[in-house]
Amino acid sequence: MPQLIPATINSGLPLAGVLFLATFVLLFGSFLLFLASKLGTRKYDPVKYQSYECGIPAQEKKDTKISVKFYLTAILFIVFDIEIIFMYPWARTFKEFIDSGNGLYILASMGFFLFVFIFGLFWEVKSKALEWD
Amino acid sequence: MISDAILFWILAFLSLSAGLTVVMIANPIYSALALVMTMVSVAGLFVTLGAYFLAGVQLIVYAGAVMVLFVMVLMLFDLKNEVYAFTQGLLTNVVKLGCLGLLAGLLAGTLVLSSYQSQEIQDKVVAAADQTKALGQLLFTQYLFGFEVLGILLLIVAIGAVALSRSRGGTHHV
Amino acid sequence: MGKDVFEVTINCIKLIVVFLMMVQAVPILVWLERRGSAFIQNRFGPNRVGPLGLVQLLADAVKFLFKEEFFPENGTKFLYYAAPVVALVPATLAYCAIPLGHPLQYGEYLFRLQGFDVNVGIVYVLGVSGLAAYAILLAGFGSGNKYSLLGALRASAQIISYELALGLSIVGIILLYGTFNLNEMVAMQQGPLSFSFRGHEILVSWLPNWGIFYQPLGFVLFFASIFAESNRLPFDLAEGEAELVAGFHVEYGGFKMLLFFIGEYGHMMVGSGLLATFYMGGYGIPYITNQALWQTFMDWTQDGQLAHILVSAATFAMFSFKLALCLWFFVQVRWTLPRFRYDQLMDLGWKTMLPWALFNVIATALFIFVAHG
Repeated sequence: MPQLIPATINSGLPLAGVLFLATFVLLFGSFLLFLASKLGTRKYDPVKYQSYECGIPAQEKKDTKISVKFYLTAILFIVFDIEIIFMYPWARTFKEFIDSGNGLYILASMGFFLFVFIFGLFWEVKSKALEWD
Repeated sequence: MISDAILFWILAFLSLSAGLTVVMIANPIYSALALVMTMVSVAGLFVTLGAYFLAGVQLIVYAGAVMVLFVMVLMLFDLKNEVYAFTQGLLTNVVKLGCLGLLAGLLAGTLVLSSYQSQEIQDKVVAAADQTKALGQLLFTQYLFGFEVLGILLLIVAIGAVALSRSRGGTHHV
Repeated sequence: MGKDVFEVTINCIKLIVVFLMMVQAVPILVWLERRGSAFIQNRFGPNRVGPLGLVQLLADAVKFLFKEEFFPENGTKFLYYAAPVVALVPATLAYCAIPLGHPLQYGEYLFRLQGFDVNVGIVYVLGVSGLAAYAILLAGFGSGNKYSLLGALRASAQIISYELALGLSIVGIILLYGTFNLNEMVAMQQGPLSFSFRGHEILVSWLPNWGIFYQPLGFVLFFASIFAESNRLPFDLAEGEAELVAGFHVEYGGFKMLLFFIGEYGHMMVGSGLLATFYMGGYGIPYITNQALWQTFMDWTQDGQLAHILVSAATFAMFSFKLALCLWFFVQVRWTLPRFRYDQLMDLGWKTMLPWALFNVIATALFIFVAHG
């Protein structure tokens, strides 16, 4: 019986394909925008080109005051994101560690890391850093 | 392989030109966006070295998280005065000269070191398919202590960020 | 040499075809969305242009092309025009890494029914789709409008908040399959539900061997996260119409708006494709292994090559069906759940989904440890 081909042949990451596709998509999008700009009608009217507002002229000032919560969210995201990224190689090698008889070791080493992670999360919740109003 | 060489030159050109743009351009937003481009092309360079997981991490952490914060912050502030303050004056010029010296030193060091170390490193490169596995195994055996300490370091960073956001008297509304 | 050139050409064409498949799925999805909404709300929806209103979107696309070019005077020209083009890239690059069907062996050539096979599939998809925040930020800043900026800020804060729960639910998946490769994951989900528990082989013949039965909690978390990632209701705070009009694309119109739409629907398709690949067997047909499927076709046609082609076609049809099912769910949910408030959204992401995702990781790890030990 002829074998059906294996589901995977490890081919790494085809960088050339990624670059080619990204370039193609960028060109495709730019071309469509260019086409739309050439085909569209154009009637100048100063009011039309003002910023969208509720009927009054838009304020010029760009220095908007934004709640510090947004920055805090972004920083906490970076911290937790890095911790999650470190779980990926752990999850990838977990079964191999178990098969080689080091299951408890790998479980404990990630257990401590997770303990710190969960402690951090609970601290954030308790310190009301994640409260929005 | 010739195609690998072409890819490397494209990515090297991209990352270097984007990196130069970061320091040359005066507008902080464009500077940050050029830094994003640098991060992405460095991720591509990791791929040419066969470090696929590292390339993914570079994309997720640097391009997808750190630079999003940078761009977000820069977009919300009008930095005209700061740009002016940091592009003029004696102190700035001294800093510029110092940076130039550091860059020259870095370049010279890289050239000297790369001429006789590259073969050694080449031999150490693991087969591409097993790299992530090897990374995991090294991380959780040889570098376990560093890994656990990193967890605590990240906790401290999070606590520090919360503490900073609490301090009143800045320019922001709470 | 001829073979190399042939393969490179085929691969380039394939990438473009997958991209165009994604782009042409958008009009169909928009039609589905409008007709579906109308169906749910007891209306007719667009039904005048062509049979069932199917040509409506073609008419819309032509209309978009002929719309007036518009640039807000406070905006930054380069960023304003770059944003819609950039919005296309992350979704396309991610979608091309998802396997759409069983690889086709034709003579000496192997055609993959996917843009490119990435051995660190999940990490690549996560990394590339993480770049989606830039299109939103560029649009928000480039428009030079406060509504846009606020909408962009909210959208990016929301996207990054739910990326945590998304990333953690994927840890459960990696623990389960022990690989980053999406093709290998699909290969592991063939046949009926069977696993070994402390040396005993357990077989549940009335269930397919899908990830959803191993990771039910992870499935729920992942599903909720992709709604938030693609800015869909009930998580469409970025364009909460009452306060922010249309969020980051308030200054966009015509074809630029359509490009944002393609990006958004592309993200929905990437999310649904990943959902199908992780939890619903990918392109695999439930209960049957691909080998058994090939054997069935072989007995039927007595032609090995034709059987190969039929296997690829059947798996591709299966994947499309699963994808369509997930996408229909997006529409259904849109008219079922009301929008969250912003604090509820953030609470759900950080205080509910993140702890549950952590619990899921710990429970999965402990289960695998017990089952293997």
